[in-house]
Amino acid sequence: MIEARIELPLARFPLRVDLKLGRGVTALMGPSGSGKTSLLESMAGLRRAARGRIALEGERWLDSDAGLDLPPNRRRVGYVPQDSGLFPHLSVLGNVRFGVRDEAAAESAIDTLEIRELLGRYPASLSGGERQRVALARALATRPRLLLLDEPLASLDLALRQRVLPYLVRIRDRWQVPCLYVTHNVGEALAVAERLVLLQEGRVHAEGPPHELLAVAAASREADEGLENLLGGRVAGHDPDAGVTRIELLAGPVVSVSLALDRTPGQAVTLSVRAEDVLVAVEPVRGLSARNVFAARIAAVERTGPDVTLHCALEDWDRGPRWFARVTPAAVSALGLAAGIRVWLAVKSHSVRIV
Amino acid sequence: MGVAALSTLLILPPGIAAALALARYRGPGKGGLETLLSLPLVLPPTAVGLLLLELLARRAPLGAWLQARGIEVVFTWKAVVLATAVMSFPLLVRSARTAFEEVDPRLVGIARTLGCGPWAAFFRVTLPLAWRGVLAGTVLAFSRALGEFGATVMIAGNIPGKTQTLALAIFHDSQIGRDDRAMALAGVTIVLAFTALWLTEWIIRRRVRTVAP
Repeated sequence: MIEARIELPLARFPLRVDLKLGRGVTALMGPSGSGKTSLLESMAGLRRAARGRIALEGERWLDSDAGLDLPPNRRRVGYVPQDSGLFPHLSVLGNVRFGVRDEAAAESAIDTLEIRELLGRYPASLSGGERQRVALARALATRPRLLLLDEPLASLDLALRQRVLPYLVRIRDRWQVPCLYVTHNVGEALAVAERLVLLQEGRVHAEGPPHELLAVAAASREADEGLENLLGGRVAGHDPDAGVTRIELLAGPVVSVSLALDRTPGQAVTLSVRAEDVLVAVEPVRGLSARNVFAARIAAVERTGPDVTLHCALEDWDRGPRWFARVTPAAVSALGLAAGIRVWLAVKSHSVRIV
Repeated sequence: MGVAALSTLLILPPGIAAALALARYRGPGKGGLETLLSLPLVLPPTAVGLLLLELLARRAPLGAWLQARGIEVVFTWKAVVLATAVMSFPLLVRSARTAFEEVDPRLVGIARTLGCGPWAAFFRVTLPLAWRGVLAGTVLAFSRALGEFGATVMIAGNIPGKTQTLALAIFHDSQIGRDDRAMALAGVTIVLAFTALWLTEWIIRRRVRTVAP
């Protein structure tokens, strides 16, 4: 358990947060310049102006009232900045071993990130994805008690991002170290984080489980990707004859998506369905080609620009995420859509993307 | 030659410290400090020598203080070291400072999170990344120390076998008509300077290749 109460004057507003981080990954999201990096640097001890109190398992790193401020080298955090921050004058091995605490940790980090073939190379000759993996291994080799990842995938293109993301999931599952993870990408947050903190102008705007928080339309609009249904789940299995891969959603039903044989059963995935791709019917659906049909109840009707967004709770899955369906005002009046009405949601398997 | 090496060695730690401070410090008085440190570059060397002489003369407070402890500086080899050190100090600082400024401070921060104290971070990250500039500055400072004349002659005099440096010897020999000896000494300085510069270039270029294969 990490408690952090931090105050730090920034150029436009003060950073003022009060956070409790448990085990697992906490995603930190928010607009550019909202203080995310400053928060990480304060946690690492790199901002001497930070005031407040930071304690890990009761051990104090910062306690301004008591005049205590541990230097970064005594906090044991693993900090990975956006551009990897590798030491250009050292080989990959030199980088990984830079802060090594015990051999086992270094070896384990090298295996986790699969960088053994890179050990003799220098950072200048590495690709972006390789650099980030080396930076992650370097941080892990110190056996950190807290990982601070500042948009570790942001400098990578989409294809590369999807290649590095599994390593982050692997770190989370194997290393069991609390992690604060800054990202702009909703899919990443859903894929790796158990908790989400939204930062705005230096303050905590909202915090909670990612799928709940991101299901709030306002939170969703802050993210880059517009209004989408983002659903976390696990691969249940492939059905090549039917041409689909089945995904079991967290607190939700099984969804069929276009066959994706590159995903292994059991793997955690995030699905995305655009709100306008969700069809709404007021009677049970029969004879439709869409493979995914779920009974639901409309929880709220919200006017969003020229369209109307329906917030729907799936029947039998009260505690799961709300589904968003975007329809025209004409459809609302023709079908008599209103809060409390029972509906059926239909989604073609081709409309479901694996993020 | 030995004197030049000694004075260069002597100014390395404070020179590097000053360069680092100037590279990192952002605050009032920075401009003034820079100007002060660079002053020996633009002042006539004899003026610097005169100032040092006034400072260290037996009747001056500092000179008297040293005298009381049995340390004689003026007109000894120590004065030569001091004069050359003061004159070559700014050259080292300027060159090293530029090199330090090019080191990303965030890399130093990362080294700190990886368990380095401030000193370890300096020796394992800052210096290895800036060492080319520091080396270039050191060679410059060394060459300056080798050729220093004005300040040395003021404070140390020109006593053969005691305070006579190469530069002073060349002047002395040519003044008394021993041109062949002066020429030979000039040749020695050329060889020394050439070797130092060439060696630096060679080391720097070799290193560049291993960094970016």
